[in-house]
Amino acid sequence: MSSLSPIWELIKLELKLEWRMKYALAGAVLYVITTIFVLYTTLQNEQSIPWNALFWMVALFITVNAVTKSFASTSGADNLYLYQLSSANQVIIAKVIYNLLLIFALLILSFGAFSLFIENPIEHDFLFILTIFLGSLGFSLVLTFVSAISNKTKNNAVFMAILGFPLIIPILLGLIKLTEKALESNVQNYLNDIAILAAIDMILFGVILILFPFLWKD
Amino acid sequence: MKKHWWKALSVLIVLYTIIAGLIIPLKPGILKIKQSGLNTGQIITAEVNTYNTRYENGDKLDAYLKINDKVKLYSSSSKILGKEKVELTFDVPAYLPQVKSFDYTLILVDPKHGPFVRPSAITLKQDKVDIEQALATWPKQNEIPLKFIDGIKFPFRTILYESIRNTFYHVPMWFAMVFILFAAMWYSIRYLVKPVFRFDIAARSLTSIGVILGILGCLTGSVWAKGTWGTWWTFQEIKLNVSAIALLIYFAYFILRSAIQDEEQKARVASVYNIFAFVAMVPLLFVVPRMVASSLHPGNGGNPGFGGEDLDNTLRMVFYPAIIGWTLFSFWLAELLYRYQLLQEKMDEEFD
Repeated sequence: MSSLSPIWELIKLELKLEWRMKYALAGAVLYVITTIFVLYTTLQNEQSIPWNALFWMVALFITVNAVTKSFASTSGADNLYLYQLSSANQVIIAKVIYNLLLIFALLILSFGAFSLFIENPIEHDFLFILTIFLGSLGFSLVLTFVSAISNKTKNNAVFMAILGFPLIIPILLGLIKLTEKALESNVQNYLNDIAILAAIDMILFGVILILFPFLWKD
Repeated sequence: MKKHWWKALSVLIVLYTIIAGLIIPLKPGILKIKQSGLNTGQIITAEVNTYNTRYENGDKLDAYLKINDKVKLYSSSSKILGKEKVELTFDVPAYLPQVKSFDYTLILVDPKHGPFVRPSAITLKQDKVDIEQALATWPKQNEIPLKFIDGIKFPFRTILYESIRNTFYHVPMWFAMVFILFAAMWYSIRYLVKPVFRFDIAARSLTSIGVILGILGCLTGSVWAKGTWGTWWTFQEIKLNVSAIALLIYFAYFILRSAIQDEEQKARVASVYNIFAFVAMVPLLFVVPRMVASSLHPGNGGNPGFGGEDLDNTLRMVFYPAIIGWTLFSFWLAELLYRYQLLQEKMDEEFD
């Protein structure tokens, strides 16, 4: 019996630590809510198929994991060095482009893996690849920026979820909508949706260019 | 006193919207119809429950079914059963001048209340279609002139009924929220341009009030949804989803503040996030709902927007002031919160 009580105490300690960092808990809850919410919105639409929701769910998690480290790897002295070498906007543009390429490659890879292991219900490959590109750009913009913000807190990964997910959902909804169109055999009037997504991406890009220098100077 | 006039004005306007919005009655309307018999060539009676009418025995009441612009079927007799209840009798000819069965619009008209309408009110059915025969046998009657009664009354809409008044509370809450959050963004920009703590405190107070307005908007909407859609909250409704996400974005603002220790850095990062949040929220609230179809809100998913018949002049008379009033009132609240937090900050400094 006595050998068990330290374990019990340690469990209590874990619980206390968890409670002390309430926002860590909030982050975990947000993970759950966002995932289920996106699945729900996609699946309640009768024309949509689970493939669509699954693909973008997987995409969301891959992306968040890939981008989280974006600013974590460089800190303190590294940043100071970068700061001397280049302007803030050069840094953020480089990071956004790098993350865009990284996410795009990962999503194309997962599209390939989906086709190989599950199926490929996409009727219009070009439209879907374009959707993936716009999605990668949106994800890259929001998450790179959020990563820069959450790097200022002590709990990087948690804040990626707390700050990033609510900002990502609108883009995700648009992507799922476009993917639905790519799944149909005769696509029509998708240009409007593409234009909207591209416009949102552009606006975010502009704001990030203006705001990032303020985050950068420490 | 000179610079405080807008606070008094906001209170007056809000009081006006509450009093006018709740006291002005609805126009008369038709609530419920109990129809006996529906086949042609027989006598059909309909027991009609009206709303906001003051019928008395001996009132002259005309009623007719509108078949189309030319053909109307007048009731052969009408009986007043109560203040808000009448019984109508129709002699329906053997053939309808139209398709096999159809829901006809019922129009009641009397000198006291003027005309009022209920679409798809009475169903008539026939076994055979014979339009020539029908046109020959349908009674030709002189048009009853529709004389509208003047006076300020809100429109009567089925499904909405009295809840139409929520237009003055639910909708202005969201308007005020967007204005307040815009101001929060403005002060965040000012903080970044010139790092004075006052600006950060202003942005924080404004954001708090904006979030409260958002919550109030959700609550008033929830009450409205319960009355009209039959549910407190539905995730099938895109506008509800995006407003919940918008609130999450701003909750994150406060969580972010709580996670940074250094005051100067906290203010700067929070300002940056606040600006980004507003820019991300605008397409979320105004573009995404139009992109993703299926919405029950006016102006989304193919529904008609506000304007035209739904927002008539009597509603406008309260609705527009309500937007101004609630916005000013919210700015006053934010200012109070700002002053309180400024004092708190000063006290903290002194005790340190």
